[in-house]
Amino acid sequence: MIINGVVIDETFAEAFPMKGTRLIITAHNAKWAMISAQAFSGFATSVIACGCEAGIERELDPSETPDGRHGVSILIFAMGGKGLAKQVETRAGQCVLTSPTSALFAGIESEKQMALGQNLRFFGDGFQISKVIDGKRYWRIPVMDGEFLTEEKTGVVESVGGGNFLVLAESQGQALTACEAAIEAMRQIPNVIMPFPGGVVRSGSKVGSKYKALNASTNDAFCPTLKGQTKSDLSPEVESVMEIVIDGLTKEDIDEAMKVGIQAVCDLGFEKGIRRVSAGNYGGKLGPFHFHLQEIMA
Amino acid sequence: MSALTLTLKAVPMQRIDCSPLTPDALAEQSLADIAAIELSVGNMMQRVDALFDITDGDSGQIQINNSHANLDFVGRNMQSGSITTDGDIGAYAGIFMEGGELTINGDSGIYTACEMAGGLINVDGNGGDFIGGARPGYKNGMTGGTVIITGDSGDRTGDHMRRGFILIEGNAGDYCGSRMVSGTISVLADVGAHLGYGMKRGTILLTQMPSRGITANFNDCGSHTLAFLPLMFASFKKLDSQFAQLEPFSRVQRYAGDIGGIGMGEVLVKI
Repeated sequence: MIINGVVIDETFAEAFPMKGTRLIITAHNAKWAMISAQAFSGFATSVIACGCEAGIERELDPSETPDGRHGVSILIFAMGGKGLAKQVETRAGQCVLTSPTSALFAGIESEKQMALGQNLRFFGDGFQISKVIDGKRYWRIPVMDGEFLTEEKTGVVESVGGGNFLVLAESQGQALTACEAAIEAMRQIPNVIMPFPGGVVRSGSKVGSKYKALNASTNDAFCPTLKGQTKSDLSPEVESVMEIVIDGLTKEDIDEAMKVGIQAVCDLGFEKGIRRVSAGNYGGKLGPFHFHLQEIMA
Repeated sequence: MSALTLTLKAVPMQRIDCSPLTPDALAEQSLADIAAIELSVGNMMQRVDALFDITDGDSGQIQINNSHANLDFVGRNMQSGSITTDGDIGAYAGIFMEGGELTINGDSGIYTACEMAGGLINVDGNGGDFIGGARPGYKNGMTGGTVIITGDSGDRTGDHMRRGFILIEGNAGDYCGSRMVSGTISVLADVGAHLGYGMKRGTILLTQMPSRGITANFNDCGSHTLAFLPLMFASFKKLDSQFAQLEPFSRVQRYAGDIGGIGMGEVLVKI
């Protein structure tokens, strides 16, 4: 398949099941809601070493938030429910509770729930106040700028992590430009995040390593400087490869995000130095969800 | 289908225990079965059809006409459906209620919503003493649900209350929120003496400073913007009440007490 001169490889991206939740952070204004959200979702690019993958889904208008203030919605994913709960509690406690004027709410309904502010309340040292409103329990925790309001629980849903595609370009600058265009388009899609810095990862990994201690290592087949040293998957004119990783609440959400992202890359086309779009295919070793590029773009 | 209608034949001389007449208890019962139910009247038992004219209808919606202050325990243990009374009602209306709606187009007696756990009670009139309270000798009052009083409430509103909302559109009597453990009482007009007496936790939200001021056993914590108030006002929007039309506010003067006890309750006054 070729779109605007860009070859779409006959391959698929592999993804794996995760547990996820959506959280809503509000604050006095949009600036402080974003600061709090960025702190919460920092160091959350990959479960390989961060314990979770998190990112900002979108900014919320005051009319969309529970307390009528500016807000930001965040998606956070982990490999299991316990791990997710630990990450949410730690990050909420250190990054949202501490953030001036913030409040924290569940952003997703589910029968399965986990603690959100349930344990953070103990920071109130006995002065915390519970309020049950419309069947949901909230905690009012006294803090130095007033009160930190948080919902007690948030929903946990089955999710999908690790959807991806690779952009192969003639130069580093062209690969980056294409990825920026893709991310801008993908950020319009709900229920997904691209957890790496700016949504783009330049150090894509393969499963396993020659070193026993590591379970992932550099994807040498797509490293342009190794074209003559390893079993490369790159043609001579490709000088830079960048990857976009997508986590989403459902496979369909990731399908949609990949479609608009790859289309944005292809819109730049061969003339802008984009040669191929490929995917992280690990021969079925990574996960049960397969995203076939040509089927998505058909 | 229209409501199952029970029209009181005569002013009762004795108190009548109406607790068997709930949508849950009457579900799938024939008209003859309902007519044969015996109610406790004073120290006697009398059939429903001896006391009420019965018009067949949906037993999930019960209408009581010519209601009287001697009808006690209306809506006891109610879990679903609705009961509407045309007229006053007696003591213990909605006691142990877990769901559904009890609408009283008249005044309600003492212990309305006693130990209520869920559902909605709407009194389009005045409420008696001990609304949302616990039975004498018990320490757990209302644990959920919402009570709306469009008129005034009696004394000891929310005594021993643990959860839920009591919304008074008129005045509240003396000892409002006494011995309250948690939950929320809101009053749109004035409150009587000894506000929050023995209050442990919970919130009393007032839209104006009480004419008697705040009692000495509450300490002023200053003026604040509280983020939970907009959420609470948003939850009122679905109610058929003045509270639904209330302009949301989050700026309040906060008083903590009763400092004669653990002092974790709060009186919030709009500023």
